[in-house]
Amino acid sequence: MREERVVLDYAIGGATAVLFYAEPTRTYDLDVFALLPSGEPSLASLGPIYEWARTQGFAVDAEHLLIHGVPVQILPAYDALVAEAVRDARLHDYEGTPVRVVDPEHLVALALQTGGARRRERAWQLLQADVVNRPRLQAILDAHGIDATLPGDD
Amino acid sequence: MTEPLSEAMRALLARKREWHRAQARLPLREKVRILLELQRQDLPLLAARRPLEPWERPWEITP
Repeated sequence: MREERVVLDYAIGGATAVLFYAEPTRTYDLDVFALLPSGEPSLASLGPIYEWARTQGFAVDAEHLLIHGVPVQILPAYDALVAEAVRDARLHDYEGTPVRVVDPEHLVALALQTGGARRRERAWQLLQADVVNRPRLQAILDAHGIDATLPGDD
Repeated sequence: MTEPLSEAMRALLARKREWHRAQARLPLREKVRILLELQRQDLPLLAARRPLEPWERPWEITP
């Protein structure tokens, strides 16, 4: 997708990204944040991605692409925090395949920004796993105006 | 007012915390295997509570 300029850059986010840093948590789909050439964060801007997926033989099921048995939801970078999370993503290796994954600090910031019980739990898991650089996380929260009290280690 | 935790309780919580950290350090392949197991276990419970979305099904992959 990147080579064909369908997306400028991408990073895995959500619960699947948490898997790279913390204990497994239940999810049924894989979120991918994408920086799009159009720069527009609208759903209509995802059209070229779905078109690309069809040409690759991947099934499209409502908003999900079915890629090798996994429902993948592409989300355009809808605000400055998501765009930064994609730009700062870490390169991981999964069974010999390089994958870009949102880093733990941005995962926590995104979970706190979006809210909801399951996302707060995800943030807590990352903090408990001792993989979050807290000063860096606090700097991200401050830069993006996210007012949140971080839970302690207990 | 919250009572201070006993030494035994503090030790129990510390062991629990370490267990979670050990889970976090598992190889990615093992975490994916656990995730697939969680999906299989959770799906009937979810289905009993509400209609499932079409994409809510265990991933057809081998970790």
